[in-house]
Amino acid sequence: MSDFRIALRPALGSATGPASRGVSLTAMPEGHVVQVLGRRPHAPDLSGVLEKAAGPAHRAVHAAGPGQWFIVGDAPLSRDEFAALSAALQPHATAVDQSHGRIRIRVEGTMVERMLAKGTAVDLDPGAFPVGTSAMTLLGHVSVHLTRIEIAVFEIMVLRGFAESLWEDLVRMSAEFA
Amino acid sequence: MTSYRLAKGGLVDRGAPLAFSFDGKPMQGFEGDTLASALLANGQMLVGRSFKYHRPRGILTAGASEPNALVTIGRRGRTEPNTRATVQELYEGLEARSQNRWPSLDFDVGALNGLLSPFLGAGFYYKTFMWPAPLWEKLYEPFIRRAAGLGKATHEADPDSYEKSWAHCDLLVVGAGPAGLAAALTAGRAGARVILVDEGSMPGGSLLFDTAMIDGKTASDFADGAGAELQSMPNVRLMTRTTVFGWYDGNVFGAVERVQKHVRDPASHLPVERLWRIVAKQALLATGAEERPLVFGGNDRPGVMTASAMRAYLNRYGVAPGKATAIFTSNDSGYLLARDLEAAGVEVTAVVDSRPTAALSYRGRARLIANAVVSRTKGSKSVSAIEVLRDGRSETIAVDALAIAGGFSPIIHLACLRGSKPFWSEEKAAFLAPQDLKGLRIAGAAAATAGIAACMQEGSAQTMAILCELGFSCRPATLPNVEAEEESRPAKPLWSIPGIKGKAFVDFQNDVHLKDIGLAVREGYGHVELAKRYTTSGMATDQGKLSNVNAIGLLAEARGVSPAEVGTTTFRPFYTPVSFGALTGAHSGFHFQPVRKSPLHDWAAKNGAIFVETGLWYRSAWFPRGGEKTWRESVDREVVNVRQNVGLCDVSTLGKIEIFGADAAEFLNRIYCNAFLKLPVGKARYGLMLREDGFIYDDGTTSRLGEEHFFMTTTTAYAAGVMNHLEFCAQALWPELDVRLASATDQWAQMAIAGPKARLVLEKIVDDDISSAAFPFLAAKEVSLCGGKLHARLFRISFSGELAYELAVPAGYAESVADILMDAGAEYGLQPYGTEALGVLRIEKGHVTHSEINGTVIPDDLGFGKLVSATKADFIGKAMLEREGLKASDRLRLVGVRPLDPTASFKTGSHILEKNAAPTLENDQGYITSSAFSPHVGCTIGLALVKRGPERLGEEVVVWNGLKSEYTPAILCDPTFVDPTNERLHV
Amino acid sequence: MASLISCPHCGVRPKEEFAIKGAVLSRPAPDAGHQAWTEYVYLRDNPRGIHREYWHHTSGCRRWLVVTRDTASHEVELCLDAAAAKLAGVRP
Repeated sequence: MSDFRIALRPALGSATGPASRGVSLTAMPEGHVVQVLGRRPHAPDLSGVLEKAAGPAHRAVHAAGPGQWFIVGDAPLSRDEFAALSAALQPHATAVDQSHGRIRIRVEGTMVERMLAKGTAVDLDPGAFPVGTSAMTLLGHVSVHLTRIEIAVFEIMVLRGFAESLWEDLVRMSAEFA
Repeated sequence: MTSYRLAKGGLVDRGAPLAFSFDGKPMQGFEGDTLASALLANGQMLVGRSFKYHRPRGILTAGASEPNALVTIGRRGRTEPNTRATVQELYEGLEARSQNRWPSLDFDVGALNGLLSPFLGAGFYYKTFMWPAPLWEKLYEPFIRRAAGLGKATHEADPDSYEKSWAHCDLLVVGAGPAGLAAALTAGRAGARVILVDEGSMPGGSLLFDTAMIDGKTASDFADGAGAELQSMPNVRLMTRTTVFGWYDGNVFGAVERVQKHVRDPASHLPVERLWRIVAKQALLATGAEERPLVFGGNDRPGVMTASAMRAYLNRYGVAPGKATAIFTSNDSGYLLARDLEAAGVEVTAVVDSRPTAALSYRGRARLIANAVVSRTKGSKSVSAIEVLRDGRSETIAVDALAIAGGFSPIIHLACLRGSKPFWSEEKAAFLAPQDLKGLRIAGAAAATAGIAACMQEGSAQTMAILCELGFSCRPATLPNVEAEEESRPAKPLWSIPGIKGKAFVDFQNDVHLKDIGLAVREGYGHVELAKRYTTSGMATDQGKLSNVNAIGLLAEARGVSPAEVGTTTFRPFYTPVSFGALTGAHSGFHFQPVRKSPLHDWAAKNGAIFVETGLWYRSAWFPRGGEKTWRESVDREVVNVRQNVGLCDVSTLGKIEIFGADAAEFLNRIYCNAFLKLPVGKARYGLMLREDGFIYDDGTTSRLGEEHFFMTTTTAYAAGVMNHLEFCAQALWPELDVRLASATDQWAQMAIAGPKARLVLEKIVDDDISSAAFPFLAAKEVSLCGGKLHARLFRISFSGELAYELAVPAGYAESVADILMDAGAEYGLQPYGTEALGVLRIEKGHVTHSEINGTVIPDDLGFGKLVSATKADFIGKAMLEREGLKASDRLRLVGVRPLDPTASFKTGSHILEKNAAPTLENDQGYITSSAFSPHVGCTIGLALVKRGPERLGEEVVVWNGLKSEYTPAILCDPTFVDPTNERLHV
Repeated sequence: MASLISCPHCGVRPKEEFAIKGAVLSRPAPDAGHQAWTEYVYLRDNPRGIHREYWHHTSGCRRWLVVTRDTASHEVELCLDAAAAKLAGVRP
């Protein structure tokens, strides 16, 4: 039965949020999220392997605890691309496709640190949390993976099932800056 | 006469009048007023009735320590009882009501308590109402509570929103008075991250009512300028209207910011209060000091006020206390007030100084009476005269206001919240906090330093020391030049005053007076902690801010020891009351906890699902169709359809864990009590996980997708717990194993397709051969769908007992695939079914869930005895499973139950009794763990844990519902009501 | 209101991000006998002073940690990764 059409339903397809200079929220494209599990949590430096596996631009590598990373990008990953990425990581690490299990939200603006401080105890001052830093933390009542993309831009990654709930929280936390 | 507003002076804006009301009476204040200053400006000296004796009370202080002027403000859901008028900023339309009076503030029936006062001393309630005990709850307590009280909370919901936030800094400065401002400027200019917090609406603290000149400016202008400079520094955050209420582990400070408590109509995009947790590398306490009252007869009468409060009302708010004011002082503070009052044109009738000589620097017109005391005040609802005692002679002087100055107590509350005890300094006549606290230093009046210049000097010096510790390069700050400052010497404390008459209050809010303290000592409660509880001194909502030190001094005198020997009671958070709203933050009502949605949520919703909350998840419980009047009709139809045709159920909420590594099989072999080492690739197996004590923890199926790759499912409820448990085993117990875990619960949407026609439906979309030969029971593998458009995981496992599959697809495609299945299955009668039908189906098949796995059962209790590996060297729970009690023959074990009369039924939780046995504990045979109406059997059926259950099949018993006294004759049977030989699984 | 734990991987975090399992004990050998297992499963000291516990950074790096803290002062003295500590031969 190849006449059935299989369509993606984005987790935050109907979400609307603030878009002001203070804070703006954007649901990022459901491209790909690959969880990388190092063979040993305290393995030797894998940055070279990761960089090679992540390949060309449009993909970023975010640290996610000892021996673990997320490789993320805005475009979906084909089966072959995933297999290639997976192979490139062997034997140092295993790739797990989490493209559907994790949802990414971009938060940015002049007041973004103040807004996020309502949820996380991580000190987001650029001196303490420079561009490129990632943290797994509790944002309100929901566990997230937080990365500073630019000085006033953060990417939040959350379990798909919590995405709507987190989005609502973020909208409320942003209300005073919107 | 009464208090009144002066024509000029103060920081209030006379061009911005604000209308407000007190007990319904319209009044007017100005922008910049507190409710207290506005009430005084309107001549309202009587503002409340006291807690126990219902005595008339006025405004005693100008700050957070106020014990008397507690009022209720706002209306409906915004009603706020026990608001301190001294800190509440005035706003247009504010409605304030007095408390603890009936029928009115002026005429209060409760004041009769005052006549009974000889009988109402400390311990009175305990002694008098001891007997008969039952009357306490019914009579005494309700009566006492009605008579003795604070304001009443509203029953209406609070319409406002609250939130919490974290903040981080190098230096937190608590208090923006002279010491705090100097500290913040020093640290801010050095580039440190500074947070300066003050409870007032603007920085300045005591500078806002001081007459000194700083760098040629008035003190308040200096504070304003300092605030502006701090505001302009990007590394400094100045937080006003914010009270730091606690000091916690890790140098975290709790603070509450009153974002919109000074406005009539709070804006909806802002919270009314915000709770801050401030992580500070170092903190400086610059909280100032509290002026102590003096303890003499009628010291609580309206018109009596601390000298520094009177100075604040005069200099900051432009309010005079009366036409003829007396000052009773034990130190130099009273003279500063005398000078300021006279400068403002308010007559000072007398300064009564308890010291042998009056302050020599005073040049005013007031009569100085040294070596004298005020023994009592006279008047009804406000002061009309004082009685002065000198050399044993008494003299009455007519006055309409009295300032009292008993010395200063440093505000060290925060410094004592982490176990440190304050110590008594004879030199400073005050309790001081230790200076060797980790992460916290103290400066200014909070360290008993007197004078603006000295406080600034100390604030700056302490900050320099902190900055050096934090590694900032520090240069000595240039301190402003302070002029026209009066010097003041430390006070010699004046505890008990000779010759006093009438009630002399120690704790104003709890109506504890001098004689109560004496009584406590005489009756053996002289220890400071016992005296506190016996007299209730210091136990009111003001936590004894004004009274504790006086109570300790009086205890010391009564016991003939030094205050050092008496010591203080334990300081506890919060410094001032914090609203429940602020403590709750944003997480209330619907937002109390997050919602977790299945990727098939919207699919279920469009198919008409009724949802049920399961933990954080919303699961589809049943799918009503037209004409169905009860949930049972829908559930019965769904069950029958699965048994006859085919059903589709969302099981995405099951926990899913990917397990990788060379030792993954060995790891699972240790995690489960049954064998997993030799599970072939492409196969699923039921797994039983024990706790280390031998009892069952969780169950689920685990499939081997590759030599070094397994896919585990857990129950919905224990998904998070199992993941934590696996991580513990992998990391803490056996880190030498090569095993890697990833939670994949949200990556995969999972659907159960169950029923005799399940394969027919799946064959329409699965590209692979899924015939029984190619894909037998317990097969598990990756398949492609719809001509390779999508890859999925297919498992041939069954919870219902029918031919069944679970299909896992990437979550974003879940709805699309479910739609396709519904289309493909239409011709076979495919219908969605929910968790209710899922439950009925599994009970009919005798499958267990956490209703049976309830923490009291071991594998053998559920008929899984043979599953437990006898050959494995080790697995979690193995050792403890060998215990004698877990092998006892009369353990409760799984069995089926059905009523003898098919029209009868029973409820889960009912107990099993032998026929004709009385319902007693010793006759208890077990209990029903799950029950449902079974369309297949045609009556209610149940699973039960019963003593020696499997040996008693066919025995007639009684199911007893103790809550309803129902006895249902029933029969014990095999728990597998459907297809006991498992033929349907293998078709 | 707050307690901070310094996770060796994530830095300073509040206790809300963690789950506490309890005392750090050595899991006995399978044949260690009833007494050893009863002590491991059921018997716990309740020390005043230094205490070593397993904490899980549940809402962070998801690593199990060995936290050494003072139950009287709440001071956290040491915080190690449990797996790294065990592999390095640090006695539980």
